[in-house]
Amino acid sequence: MSAPPPPKQSPLWSMLMQPGAGWRFERRLYTGPVREFAAVIIAIGISVAAAGLLVAVAGAGVLEAFRGMYEGAFGTRDSALETLVQATPLIMTGLAAAIAFRASIWNIGGEGQFYAGAAGAWWVSDLLADLRPAPLLFVFMFLGAALAGALWASIASVLKAVFKTNEILTTVMLNFVMFFVLSWLLAGPWRSPNTFYYQTERMADVTFLPRFTTDSRLHWGFAIAVLTAVLVYFILRKTPLGYEIRGLGANPVASRYKGANVGVLIITVMAISGAVAGLGGAGELLGLHHRLQLDIAVGAGFTGIIIALVARLHPLGVVVAAVAFGALINGSTAVQVVTGIPAALVQVIEGMTLVFVLLAAVAARYRIVRTSVSHG
Amino acid sequence: MTEGSSAGGVILKIDRVSKRFPGVLANDAVSVDIEQGEIHCLLGENGAGKTTLADILYGVHHPDDGALYLKGEPLRMSSPKDAIGAGIGMVHQHFEFVPPMSVLENVIIGAHSKQWLDMGQARRRLQELFDTYDVRVDPDAEVGRLSVGEQQWIEIFKTLYFGLEILILDEPTAVLTPQGVEQLFGILRRMRENGLTVILITHKLNEVMEISDRVTVLRRGKVVDTVDTADVTRQDLARMMVGRDVVFTVENEGGTPGGLLLEVDEIHVESESGRGSLEGLSLTVREGEIVGVAGVSGNGQNALFDALVGVREPSSGEIRLGGGSIVGLSARKIASLGVASVPGDRIRQGLVMDFRVKENLILGRHRSKPYASWGLLRRRPVDGFAKQSIDEFEIMTPSAAHVTRTLSGGNLQKVIMARELSQAPKLLVVHQPTRGLDVGAAEYVRRRLIQERDKGAGVLLMSEDLDEIFNLSDRIAVIYEGRIMAETRPGDTDLEEIGLWMAGISSEPDAAGASASSGNGAAGE
Ligand SMILES: Nc1ncnc2c1ncn2[C@@H]1O[C@H](COP(=O)(O)OP(=O)(O)OP(=O)(O)O)[C@@H](O)[C@H]1O
Ligand SMILES: [Mg+2]
Repeated sequence: MSAPPPPKQSPLWSMLMQPGAGWRFERRLYTGPVREFAAVIIAIGISVAAAGLLVAVAGAGVLEAFRGMYEGAFGTRDSALETLVQATPLIMTGLAAAIAFRASIWNIGGEGQFYAGAAGAWWVSDLLADLRPAPLLFVFMFLGAALAGALWASIASVLKAVFKTNEILTTVMLNFVMFFVLSWLLAGPWRSPNTFYYQTERMADVTFLPRFTTDSRLHWGFAIAVLTAVLVYFILRKTPLGYEIRGLGANPVASRYKGANVGVLIITVMAISGAVAGLGGAGELLGLHHRLQLDIAVGAGFTGIIIALVARLHPLGVVVAAVAFGALINGSTAVQVVTGIPAALVQVIEGMTLVFVLLAAVAARYRIVRTSVSHG
Repeated sequence: MTEGSSAGGVILKIDRVSKRFPGVLANDAVSVDIEQGEIHCLLGENGAGKTTLADILYGVHHPDDGALYLKGEPLRMSSPKDAIGAGIGMVHQHFEFVPPMSVLENVIIGAHSKQWLDMGQARRRLQELFDTYDVRVDPDAEVGRLSVGEQQWIEIFKTLYFGLEILILDEPTAVLTPQGVEQLFGILRRMRENGLTVILITHKLNEVMEISDRVTVLRRGKVVDTVDTADVTRQDLARMMVGRDVVFTVENEGGTPGGLLLEVDEIHVESESGRGSLEGLSLTVREGEIVGVAGVSGNGQNALFDALVGVREPSSGEIRLGGGSIVGLSARKIASLGVASVPGDRIRQGLVMDFRVKENLILGRHRSKPYASWGLLRRRPVDGFAKQSIDEFEIMTPSAAHVTRTLSGGNLQKVIMARELSQAPKLLVVHQPTRGLDVGAAEYVRRRLIQERDKGAGVLLMSEDLDEIFNLSDRIAVIYEGRIMAETRPGDTDLEEIGLWMAGISSEPDAAGASASSGNGAAGE
């Protein structure tokens, strides 16, 4: 088939596309996993270099900072395990975003769904406090979390499926709504009487997720996250549901003509996405915080969006990207101690990485070809 | 190497041009001399490399090897912009979405990037061009209101407005009615008179015979030959193309219609644009019968298709399949009742272009056995079916795992045909089933439709290709402005009468009032 180039071209575009002396870019119709992967790696390399440049501009030693970053993130057994702790919620929110984005449903509500899940788990733990044996209690707490996340996401998806409202707007707004709902719950009905803060009572020990070692904070939530990633990968690749999700994302019209029930599919995808985010919230609550408060993993929902995009919506890529971002968060604290560069650098690097990866993804769709002149 | 550029000389020399894509050599040392002022046809099987060559001439692709010479000078292009700069324009095979603007605005997009737009002057110039080519279109008309053919003219007039010398058209007639083709050819002939050069890609051999001066036949990326049209016959061309004799009119002994299968009763279906709604359409299809729906596109074919497959619900009226109503049933449910369908817009409605070829081959059946069981997609049946389809329909793709987007236009159509014909349907609703197929593939698809009918399936064939309608149909219904204008049998009518009906002109003046009810009346013998 013909591949008409983008008809409207900006001056910058034509400049890039017409490099003059014998070289030009040509669009590929298919990029392929190897090239996509290479593009991401190159983009990360560029981001690292750019981060180094920023550090240098800030007047600190670049090598020193990088070493500090590495030491802080992976230098010791403790720091490596702590990196995984940081990565755990990000894997879940990253997966939540990736599933929805695969279907071209723009769920920006990971943050709200994450907190909904934490609240759901806490509520169940409160309702069923006496339920034994403990594993059964865990089952119900996680079920509660998944359900809460799914329901919260469903507000947006039902509105989309029935009234065709834009899910970007609704999910963003639902984040705020969730924040206010939680604030109210934690200020009133759920607030611990023994504290000045907006938070609940500390939960019973029986609700604590087991830890992998006695001397680190790494809890089972990490294992659950990795398992979820594998499961999501499997669903997308090997099941009719995953096939429909990918089909909906790539061509909703053809999906409809070939019998997909688009409304049901949208609701299903959002429910899965919200459930995964909600499970992430429960993991943080039961693994680390043990009381519901407003600042368990602040921003995890948003970082998850970046992670999903950096991972090019690949579930296993999400795990890798989340660990990298966890390392960044963890390492930057060390960098701050060593060089005095504020840890806010993390956000700058996160943003830069996203931009570079997206650029690289576009670039990977082109190949550079030599303009041959004449061969006799 | 440098040819003279005197009138009638070689204007564009394609010299041993090669282009490789992953897994295919799409153009293999192609050499063609295009002469100034000729209409030169490119002919070849699906996937032979015609679009690739056209894209190279238009600067979309760059040759891996070989060179182009324009009037003797080496021609190097980085983008279509360069091609336009060099005087070459193109109308694409799946031509682009036209922005919702006026005709005038569409034509002058990009033409005036440097100076300020002088709308008055631009309108005068366009009107002059329209007059020269005897085209009646209002420059201020909204493009969305034009027919596909008229939209195509806009693409052509863009190139004329730019003052281009060479125009490439990639299967422009695939989407045109017979009248549309005549009008297009009128424009092309006048361009030739004015010394312009036209490169035309088409699969329709009678069009080649009618309009071209010379033909180049491609086969698997290689040039078979370039010949003067006057020296060859249709049969010769077909043989050069596919390497065997081709039957243009497939053998058809007629069906033996059985029981009533599909009954469409007075349905009204609104279309989004307001154009092409159904206004009380009735028709029937029996088992073992092919009913051809002839009509100019935009007269309700899309709405009829949508209503039958279940993506748009009639606001009133009834559709019965095997006696039971299917109004309000989901598309999945209707498909499960044995309705297979080939949509008119293959890329938008029929395929997920980012899927692998094998994934598209099971689209719609990805939930049923043997492709899925226990909630899982089964690799082996999927691969097996893909292999079988690729062999049977000669789908040209490096592998079943290739991304569908890389297939040529005709091969995309083959993927859909393979998928829909393979499920032993009770009712086949096919819209332009052979559009974009080469003569060999079209022959095969027509045979398969007859085969399905002979096995007892009912076939509703919507087509603008009247030869196809006459060849295949047991009964012909003419659709006009959302209703069946007339119904007849191939033996009782001729092209001319059908053509008049398609234009909304009733042959017998007193029959006009009866058109609404004729659909019901003709069901019985
Ligand atoms: N951008 C691309 N990437 C990979 N393969 C491609 C690409 N474009 C074309 N091909 C392959 O090159 C071959 C020639 O394709 P092309 O579109 O030129 O055929 P065509 O002669 O125009 O066929 P049709 O009559 O079906 O339109 C096909 O096998 C096709 O799959
Ligand atoms: Mg083509």
